[in-house]
Amino acid sequence: MSNIDRRTLVRGSLAAVVAGAAFSRAALAQSSEPILLGVSGPLTGPNAQYGAQWKQGFDLALDEIHAAGGINGRKLAYQFEDSQSDPRQSVAIAQKFVSDPRIVMELGDFSSPASMAASPIYQRGGLVQFGFTNSHPDFTKGGDFMWSTSVSQADEQPLLAAYAVKRLGLKKLAVLHLNTDWGRTSRDYFVKAAKEYGAEIAVTEGYIAEERDFRSTLVRVRDANPDGLILISYYSDGALIARQARQVGLKQTICAASSVYSPKFLELGGEAVEDVHLGTRYFPEDPRSEVKKFIAGFKAKYNGQEPDAFNAYSYDAMNMAAAVLKIGGTDRRAIRDAFAKVKDVSSVIFGSATFDVESRRVKGAMNAELVVRKGQFALWDGKPT
Amino acid sequence: MSSWLDYTINGLIVGNVYALVAVGLALIFGVSRLINFAQGSIYLVGAYIGWVAVVQLHTPLPLTIIVVAATAAVVGLIIERFGLRPLQNSVRIAPLLATIGISFVLDQLVMLTFSPNPRALPSQLPDVRFQLGGGTIGPLDLLIAGVGISSALLLFVFLRYSKLGWAVRAASQDRDAAMQMGVDVNRVNQAVFGIAAALGGVSGMLVGMYYNQIDTAMSLQATLKGVVAEVVGGAGNVPGAVIGSLLLGLVESYGVAVFGTSYRNLFAFLLLVVVLVLRPNGLFASARQAPPEPLTGTFIAPSRPVRIPRWVLAVAAAGFAVLPLFPVSFYVLQTLINAWLLGMLALSLTLVAGTMGQVSLGHAALLAIGAYTSALLSLTLNVPVGLAVIGGGLVSAALGTLLISPSFRLRGHYVSIATLAIGEIVSLVILNWESVTRGPIGISGIPPLSLFGYDLISPSSVYWFSLAVMVVLALLQGRLLTSHLGRSFRAIRDDDIAARAYGLSLNRYKSLAFIFGGFAAGVSGGIAAHLYSYINHETFNTQQSILALTVVILGGLGNVVGAIVGSVALVGLPEVFRIAAEYRILIYGIVLLLLVRFRPQGLLGTI
Repeated sequence: MSNIDRRTLVRGSLAAVVAGAAFSRAALAQSSEPILLGVSGPLTGPNAQYGAQWKQGFDLALDEIHAAGGINGRKLAYQFEDSQSDPRQSVAIAQKFVSDPRIVMELGDFSSPASMAASPIYQRGGLVQFGFTNSHPDFTKGGDFMWSTSVSQADEQPLLAAYAVKRLGLKKLAVLHLNTDWGRTSRDYFVKAAKEYGAEIAVTEGYIAEERDFRSTLVRVRDANPDGLILISYYSDGALIARQARQVGLKQTICAASSVYSPKFLELGGEAVEDVHLGTRYFPEDPRSEVKKFIAGFKAKYNGQEPDAFNAYSYDAMNMAAAVLKIGGTDRRAIRDAFAKVKDVSSVIFGSATFDVESRRVKGAMNAELVVRKGQFALWDGKPT
Repeated sequence: MSSWLDYTINGLIVGNVYALVAVGLALIFGVSRLINFAQGSIYLVGAYIGWVAVVQLHTPLPLTIIVVAATAAVVGLIIERFGLRPLQNSVRIAPLLATIGISFVLDQLVMLTFSPNPRALPSQLPDVRFQLGGGTIGPLDLLIAGVGISSALLLFVFLRYSKLGWAVRAASQDRDAAMQMGVDVNRVNQAVFGIAAALGGVSGMLVGMYYNQIDTAMSLQATLKGVVAEVVGGAGNVPGAVIGSLLLGLVESYGVAVFGTSYRNLFAFLLLVVVLVLRPNGLFASARQAPPEPLTGTFIAPSRPVRIPRWVLAVAAAGFAVLPLFPVSFYVLQTLINAWLLGMLALSLTLVAGTMGQVSLGHAALLAIGAYTSALLSLTLNVPVGLAVIGGGLVSAALGTLLISPSFRLRGHYVSIATLAIGEIVSLVILNWESVTRGPIGISGIPPLSLFGYDLISPSSVYWFSLAVMVVLALLQGRLLTSHLGRSFRAIRDDDIAARAYGLSLNRYKSLAFIFGGFAAGVSGGIAAHLYSYINHETFNTQQSILALTVVILGGLGNVVGAIVGSVALVGLPEVFRIAAEYRILIYGIVLLLLVRFRPQGLLGTI
């Protein structure tokens, strides 16, 4: 097993506690010890599913990194601390990581309240907080130790708008969005772009993450008489909306944000998601070599399971971390500086990723226009549905 | 016009779904006067058993229903036998906490067994749709309605005409008298839990099929909506629960129609508050029904508190005060900072819930009000942070008391439900009042804590600051409890009629308690806002309210030292269990259950 597992880690940290002062920092830095990353994310609580997906992506990336010789000969490992996406716990985890000399950088957290509450601690403690799902526009403004590979919604939403308005020819849109910081920001960028392309926004409806019943919302949508529905949703709520839209007799074209890109979307939505259009960062038949390697590797490691967007984010994040460590070594400040130096890292989401030093984000995500055909994601062939 | 027909139909359809949970809750409340927070977890278990049956074993629908009902009933019986029966003779509030602990354990077990990923639960009914209004309904809608209504009717007939049903009703009216008449109360309780659990399990499965989706987060939402529907209908009234559910569905649907989707739950909870204010026992409670709680203070039973000598407290306080001078890790300090912040919240809740007897389940709202006030004061008006935090406390005291005042005329469980609703309303107002609160985007860049122009950013300084604030609040509260005010509070808690007869104005004293408590909670929220630098409507959620109540019950209701000890324990335990990774919340739930089982009056006892 290439990634050190929990038990080894526990035993290791227990040993460290027992040995106490006997362990000097130099001893820990010996090349036989793996380089340790801290991950703060949800393993229990309402967002636990995303933490589980992160792990899959991390573990696959680590296998590949180790097969390629590790980080300058050393192994890489991560210590995953469960925050339940709760800011109270993520700040404690932040202090834990900051005061643990073995941790060279941190990845996560998942939700904005949990991530951004911890940012001041990472910033003051001088530990990089690498948030790879943090799309909140203010996340990287927390300080120069905050870096993010999350796809900027300022980039993604105009692409989706172009797909819906220019390519599919939709002129009057109903936008349904998760009423979170992500959904709200995305909606604003989408509406702005769609209007620029000449579409009219008939109605926008924000719903809370726990919502299950959308029938009444869909009556509002119907009464606004749009010719297309835009879903700024995750896969589980996106599937629910699509199902209920078809049940209440809405036959309009549905176009969804890339976050629904998951085999679960097909499983949960069933026939109702047939002909749903979506923009994505990669797709199964993508000819790019990094995508082929990712999908083949993922299926081989996880019994034929198809990877989804969150798997890809975490896989990319671990590869990016490895690339940064190769330049920056194990010094925390040098690692921060290495983020600005790292160039053209192979990435499923971006093709090749280079940070914009000003915003501490990566620009120019890949884009593919997909449609669900016969219960599978397929590249859109240009035919209207 | 046709749209209104559609909104009505949709409201009834979703009300139908709520009814399935509400009926089970009503049945249990009717007999044991207990709001069973584990009902949502049984619903979750039912959904996953259904998944195993349908997807793995390919059972036909009738067999699936039988399997799910039987398994869920067994779970219900286990809960009754090992979780609740041992608590029969202890404080009334102990079983409530036990059901919260049980729901942690069940939810975690399901999550560990099936992974947190959502799953599809395909419907086994033919896929035909009937046109109704502008939309369609399917056979599952009819089946859900059938199960809901027929189970309500069956239960009604069972309670009215069968011998066991009489026993159930007798036990619910007067347990001791029923026992003297030879009713085996334990058997009655068993029957009720078994039936309610079977119903809960089947409803989880049906709802899962309805949405073709099950996941481990569905349990809390189901409980919340079920409780609202049940209380609207009149707690303990089975047919009332069905009507309450339909009404809730309709109000939500019309709310969406008029104001938009993001106001949906706001209407659900407003409906609840309005119904409770106008008809404190719910819409369909008969006038002859016995009062929902005994008039004298058995809801919160007095116990002999553990007396801790002052010098021990002083030494402990001094010990914690000098802690940062020793080489302890910042992680330990940060964990203790969290404990002190939770401690302030617990002080507030132990005063209103323990001393005053108003068990609030919406206390996180006070945190949120304090946090937003302090953040906005310092960001938009450039008020110095120290003053802004105090401002947060004051606004939280004023606004919190005002918001909670409609619940002053309620008693026992109804106070908890009303405050739960008020808490949700505050969170939804924060989400929707974008011009002030910035809605879901939240407030970022909140300046760090500072005092007299000095920034408090090092962990030690934040630690000392929060410890000092908490100690001052605790000393003030200790003084308050020994004054005539404290005695009046306890008099009202123990017997409000006697207290009134002595000339105490109930509303005035309840307001005083909430003003003091609101200030402490608001200050805690304010400090948290400056510590986190970013807050949004999700930062202070229902889980925090439940956590605070757990702390207070664990420490001993009304017990100032207990609140602090409880905070340290409940912040510390999940951190200590980190080593267990995914299992830590499960272990936490089990520890909680054991504590309730063996110290139902709390670690340090009720004062």
